[in-house]
Amino acid sequence: MKSVVTTVVTAADAAGRFPSTSDLESVQGSLQRAAARMEAAEKLASNIDNVAQEAYDACIKKYSYLNDAGQANSNDTFKSKCLRDIKHYMRLVNYCLVVGGTGPLDEWGIAGQREVYRALNLPTAPYVEALSFARNRGCAPRDMSAQALVEYNALLDYVINSLS
Amino acid sequence: MLDAFSRAVVSADSKTACIGGEELQSLKTFIADGNKRLDAVNVIASNASCIVSDAVAGMICENQGLIQAGGNCYPNRRMAACLRDGEIVLRYITYAVLSGDASVLEDRCLNGLKETYTALGVPLQSTGRAVGIMKASSLAHINGNNSEAAGGSRYKKNEMIDGDCSAITSEAASYFDRVISALS
Repeated sequence: MKSVVTTVVTAADAAGRFPSTSDLESVQGSLQRAAARMEAAEKLASNIDNVAQEAYDACIKKYSYLNDAGQANSNDTFKSKCLRDIKHYMRLVNYCLVVGGTGPLDEWGIAGQREVYRALNLPTAPYVEALSFARNRGCAPRDMSAQALVEYNALLDYVINSLS
Repeated sequence: MLDAFSRAVVSADSKTACIGGEELQSLKTFIADGNKRLDAVNVIASNASCIVSDAVAGMICENQGLIQAGGNCYPNRRMAACLRDGEIVLRYITYAVLSGDASVLEDRCLNGLKETYTALGVPLQSTGRAVGIMKASSLAHINGNNSEAAGGSRYKKNEMIDGDCSAITSEAASYFDRVISALS
């Protein structure tokens, strides 16, 4: 899993040298900014059900045709799966906040995403809408501190870009 | 390769759970004590050649047969290989200390090491002893309790801020122990 530390260690190992001062500097840089990410991860983890539910409601409200017979949100099984998908993305965002990179989203969310949605005949626009809603819903300092919100929003933007 | 953070992510993902509460608390401690970790890595890396050569010398002192004809450190070529291997092991231990996780040590250093040494006829017990000496001297450096009495003319004082380094010391000790148990 790619993170600042593993990148540094991989580079040092390829050169066959001990961690140098500049390696330690870059690790320290990432640790200094980690407090805001941990805060965002903590707040998101404690409220993930509500965040996902709100985002899901918002996207179904905008794309109400999804409730029609034969569409992706037409019965209870589909509905719970849609909500689950949104929650999966939020969970991966939580992981990325912890790791400090986009590794979890890249490896477990985005890789193969296009192929899966095409195979299942799912539209990606509702996902974009749900995540955009979550992106704009966060508010500092009500939900988390300003810096934490920046980190959180940056990751949501990353997923939105991958879907659009 | 994993670090302390991605280890938490991988184990949370296997439960499909978010990372919050207790796990996050231990990561916050990791961040708060980050400078101790970096100091520990720095002090091992700065004294690496001393730690390694002392360990190999100590191993040979205890077992003179190693440098007699037929011994495993006998010609310079084999002695050099021994010093090189000591440095490699110590290097992977610093990587493990830096990342806060043993996966890099396990995957890139210990995996198959015992089999390789057995095939090459390297005595595992002596190797383990050398790692044990590296452990003692590295931990003394991390803790800042290396003394002139123990170091002799090679004693070097570490200019570091005093503090409680027991957590990082025992973590580093666990990586050395991993190497020793992988070789026995």
